[in-house]
Amino acid sequence: MRKPRKPKIARKPRALPKKGDGVKALFEPRGVAIIGASGAKAGTAPVLFRSAVENMSHTYKGKTHIIDLSGKMEGAFRDVKKVRGKAELAVLALPPSLALKNIKKVVDTGVRAIIVCPSYEQGQREELLAAKGNVRILGPNSAMGVINTHTGMCTGLERGMMPKRGGIAIVSQSNSVGAAVLDLANIRGIGVSKFVSLGDRIDVDEAELVNYLSKDKDTRVICIGIGDVRDGRKFVDSLQTATEKKPVVILRAGVAQLEDKVYDAAFKQARAIRVQDVEEMLDVADALAKQPPMMGNKVIIISNARGPAVLAIDAIYREGLTLAKLAEKTAKVISQRCPGTDVSNPIELGVEAKAKQYGLVLKNVLADPNVDGAIVINMLKSRFLDTGDVRAIAEVLNKFKKPVVDVAMGEESYVLVRDVLKDTNVPAYNSPERALRALKALRKYGRVKEKIKPPVVSKAAKKR
Amino acid sequence: MAAKKKVLEFISSIKGQKRRELLEFESKKLISLWGIPTTRAELAGGVREAVKLAREIKYPVVLKVASPDIIHKSDARGVKVGLSSELEVKHAFEEIMANVRAYKPNANVLGVTVQEYLPPAREVVVGTMQDKSFGPTVMFGLGGVWVEIMKDVSFRLAPLTRDDAFEMIEEVKGYSVLTGVRGKPPADTEALADILQKVGQLAVEVPEIAEMDLNPVFVFDKGKGAVAVDARIILRGG
Repeated sequence: MRKPRKPKIARKPRALPKKGDGVKALFEPRGVAIIGASGAKAGTAPVLFRSAVENMSHTYKGKTHIIDLSGKMEGAFRDVKKVRGKAELAVLALPPSLALKNIKKVVDTGVRAIIVCPSYEQGQREELLAAKGNVRILGPNSAMGVINTHTGMCTGLERGMMPKRGGIAIVSQSNSVGAAVLDLANIRGIGVSKFVSLGDRIDVDEAELVNYLSKDKDTRVICIGIGDVRDGRKFVDSLQTATEKKPVVILRAGVAQLEDKVYDAAFKQARAIRVQDVEEMLDVADALAKQPPMMGNKVIIISNARGPAVLAIDAIYREGLTLAKLAEKTAKVISQRCPGTDVSNPIELGVEAKAKQYGLVLKNVLADPNVDGAIVINMLKSRFLDTGDVRAIAEVLNKFKKPVVDVAMGEESYVLVRDVLKDTNVPAYNSPERALRALKALRKYGRVKEKIKPPVVSKAAKKR
Repeated sequence: MAAKKKVLEFISSIKGQKRRELLEFESKKLISLWGIPTTRAELAGGVREAVKLAREIKYPVVLKVASPDIIHKSDARGVKVGLSSELEVKHAFEEIMANVRAYKPNANVLGVTVQEYLPPAREVVVGTMQDKSFGPTVMFGLGGVWVEIMKDVSFRLAPLTRDDAFEMIEEVKGYSVLTGVRGKPPADTEALADILQKVGQLAVEVPEIAEMDLNPVFVFDKGKGAVAVDARIILRGG
């Protein structure tokens, strides 16, 4: 028997997206539409279009719909209407005139958010804003777009930039600085959860992104690179909420301005950790993502060489930390079980120290209540240590809630050690100074944990 | 809040005169309505009134020129301190008038303010301003060269927690001036923190205040308080 045919009901137009869902749709959309015009002659738009298409086809696990208004790209639709109801996110890589002509159509497909890749002029931006309805816009000029390493989404310009998965989220106002941070993270094997380039910020701003990332379970640390903020109080509020849950690291350009003092104060009151450059940003974020906060100032140095340990002492003082003094019991156990070890601070292991000595000493010092954190130095050259021996560090420290940072001074040795450690939770550095800056950041976040202060913005301030 | 109502009334009376800048004695009246300790300051239009007020306030007193056209009163040699008799007050009054006339002949001079005299203490500067991105902020610095030459100041967004207030005091490079070096007793940083918090609260609750400058604030030894000795308030335009 033939099934009776269902009576045809006219499809209801999809309801407009609810406000507030848009930011999430930027990172976790169900369905992505990439809209461009491959034949457009002017400007960067067609390049951005092709990059987005290529990046998404290589790594994205979800569904991508491509719309080429020029009708040249293989497998692409020609009409925006074709993706009606199929995509929550549109990646718009059209030149300004075409973008403005088609924006209504794009909004009508039912997308919740649009990433606008090329940069538009002031008047064009205003037209875009007027046409967007409830849809949220990232950009324009968000050329580096959005990356979500867990779904392989990458809408940005640079090719082959997909970092490995990890706990660090990166928010960058500048496309280029953002690209540089990704580049560094990739070379050093530092894992990223999400990346977003703010662009010209006509709609979605840094505060909303911080709010989203503070709730994101894949993100353990939020890194922000910014020059100015759109709404200072809103941003501080978002930072305060975020830092109660996870550390926030901020790089802010504009130190020479008097207003930088106000920015600095705002970051302090919001308990964010301010850094000086992208290198320090990643150094610090790597440690914060992998290691527990340090709940005191006392640092122990464990090293198989004297010179680097002495430099570490200086760095400890420079960062306002102190040298730990081992409990008698700990010192006794170590000297009994590792004869030939100098059990003061720095703890000097012999030239021939291997994984066994490192593991044993580290285990004992971390159990000592007089120690809050440790810097482990393993020199390869002129010592008996093998690269693989450093694995012992990772094996020990999982058992303790105290932070450990690793140093292999130099460059070649450092790269060897780093490659062994990059998939563990031990952050590795090529100098004691960098390692101590990271440890200091862990201490700063420890202080935040010790004392979560009430919010800075009173009801009276909010009402206005 | 009663204090807020009084402050707003006071501000609208100034605005009624189409003015944005408060004179020193007006600024002091405003902050004292808010509970910020400051020296008593009363306007005297003539010499007889000045003498009468001096007796009321009790000797020794300070005389300062009162004129909307003279911002830097010391530059105009319009300040006389430590006056302890009727005769001294009379002389000081005449002298100030002569000095000011020489300094700025066309200045609109209302007279002088007669003020309570305080013994010297450690001097700090407390201010507020409305930042274009972050709204009301509080500024702190140590007086004299620390602020003027070394730009050694700290900021916080208002309102301030107690911790914020202490952190911004401790953050300036010259902080040890307040902790008491070379046998000097420590300064009353508790009282100073009170002022910082109250100033922050005022900046938040009364956004009509565009800028406030308490310079100097005298901070006495621990337990002996802190007092704003000069004050300048500018209201928002429009």
